[in-house]
Amino acid sequence: MAEIVRCINPTGISKVIETFPLASRLDTINGKNICMSICGEPDITIALEKKLKNDYTNVNWNVKKTYGLFPLPLTDEEFKTTHAVIQGVLW
Amino acid sequence: MPYITKLEKAGIPTVIVDLEDQHQMVKQTALRYGVPEVRYIAASRILRGEEDVDQFIEPMLEMLTRPLTDKEKASGKWVPTTNDRIIFEGTMDEAEEFFHQMEYIPHPVNAPIARFTDGLPVRIPTEARVEAMLKGTSHKPDELIVHHQDPMRGARRNPFAFQREGRRPSRSASPEAAAMEGMRRRQGTPVEFQPMGWTATVEKVAACAVMAGCTPEYLPAVLAIAEAGTFIGSTHTFGHWLCVSGPFAKEVGMSSGCGMLGPGNVANSTIGRAYEIMARNLGGAIPGVNRMTSIGSPFEGSRCCAENADGLPPGWEGINEEFGYKKDESVVMVIPHVNDGIRGVQFSPGGYRAFQKSGHGGIARKLGVKGKPGPHNWLEYLIDEFWAGREGAKTVIMVPEMARHLYEYGFKSKDEVYEWLYKKSFIPLGRYRHFSWPDLGTNGWLGIEPTSGKPWKELPDDYMVPAAESPYSFCIVVGGGDEELSHQLSSPHHLGIDPIYSIDAWR
Repeated sequence: MAEIVRCINPTGISKVIETFPLASRLDTINGKNICMSICGEPDITIALEKKLKNDYTNVNWNVKKTYGLFPLPLTDEEFKTTHAVIQGVLW
Repeated sequence: MPYITKLEKAGIPTVIVDLEDQHQMVKQTALRYGVPEVRYIAASRILRGEEDVDQFIEPMLEMLTRPLTDKEKASGKWVPTTNDRIIFEGTMDEAEEFFHQMEYIPHPVNAPIARFTDGLPVRIPTEARVEAMLKGTSHKPDELIVHHQDPMRGARRNPFAFQREGRRPSRSASPEAAAMEGMRRRQGTPVEFQPMGWTATVEKVAACAVMAGCTPEYLPAVLAIAEAGTFIGSTHTFGHWLCVSGPFAKEVGMSSGCGMLGPGNVANSTIGRAYEIMARNLGGAIPGVNRMTSIGSPFEGSRCCAENADGLPPGWEGINEEFGYKKDESVVMVIPHVNDGIRGVQFSPGGYRAFQKSGHGGIARKLGVKGKPGPHNWLEYLIDEFWAGREGAKTVIMVPEMARHLYEYGFKSKDEVYEWLYKKSFIPLGRYRHFSWPDLGTNGWLGIEPTSGKPWKELPDDYMVPAAESPYSFCIVVGGGDEELSHQLSSPHHLGIDPIYSIDAWR
């Protein structure tokens, strides 16, 4: 009979993760303060920003733009008054 | 992703625009940060902006208003499938089959990928073999891998800090460095292996070392490499080479000689391979899922060499000393981004010798020293190619003879070479603007040019700026055989990780 071997688990230890629901969605975007948070990919985001502002004039757009890898976070004040965030393009 | 999940948890609905092939990475990362159901929509890699936006803008906005599904409303706990110490029990044949499993990865891979290995056969990590491996360290099997030092600071860590902090890195973290790294990388905190942020014990690293083919005496180096956290994050080619500096290399029979980065030496090959085995198992890195190096490279975590301390010219410090360790202390250096660019083999057979001995041949003609015996500064021959592909400091590997020629020419320390290279890196801003990466690094040229302190946009095209971040972002590795050769790697020290880890801390 072949010898039985026990093998050590080489995989990393993943902790139990507490999971949260998504935030409730908006009833409408009209009249809301929506942040367009832009990182990179200007070919897409320039067109997106332009179309959002031109075609969705009932929305109060707040554009936060960086050319770096990480989004510019909302300020404490913006955090209180922002109803939704669009993040793009996420690498 | 941490930002998006923070917003969702705070009650602010979000939608992410990403690229289709990165959906799996988005999902995995969202789970890691506790909001697994984040909404995302793909932009196109190829459509023009207006056309692309036309097709996704409506569904994107609808994601902000469409009511949540039951799944999206759910909270709870995600429990990993197994963290058991023993992952398999059976015959050796069955164990072979188990550890060489593959899983099919759809687009962008469309091929099977190994579940536990780097794609090559491994040695099965039986309990007995791992126990034998653990004799290579005094650390306990159930000890967590933790950071033995604070994040690097100063010139080595922050490319522009050298102007105010000088050349020497401090081993204690400044408040700025601590803030930059966050608390999770402070001394004594568990290492989070990338990309999944998992942790690991000494025993798990030993299991990976067994799989890579290491022997117990190599384990302290593998543990030191583990401390780097298997950083693999990039959509570009992101390979690492490893270099051991200090007496450990000789103790375990590493090669710092001919072919040190090539095949043959067991210590070099298996210690290097362990990086990749750890990335797969401890970090959960899966090509095409959360490891998106588009083409990949044979250099991805596969090679380790040793510095030839005996080949250093007088006054030239070893890598260990350069980073604040003593000559008799052993460290491993992680050289990131190796496969962003390797330049080498610039000299014809005998061409370099003719140049140095008597001033003959093409190199002498280029440098205007025809007929004049050396020592000559051979770096002059290469310097105009250094920034042909991209900006940034380089890691320069050179054989001992060529290091000695630089010393005889007049460079009495590595720092003098670094400072010379930095001075030579200055190019007109108009040319610097032609590099791609500074678009990000300068925040679209909206930031401040560090050497002048003035906004980039106010500087004229003929203003000279350094193509390298700092003198001390360069690195010299002395090693290799007798044939005169140098490689220049597009890999300065500071790209996202600290470069140096103590081996002695893991003995």
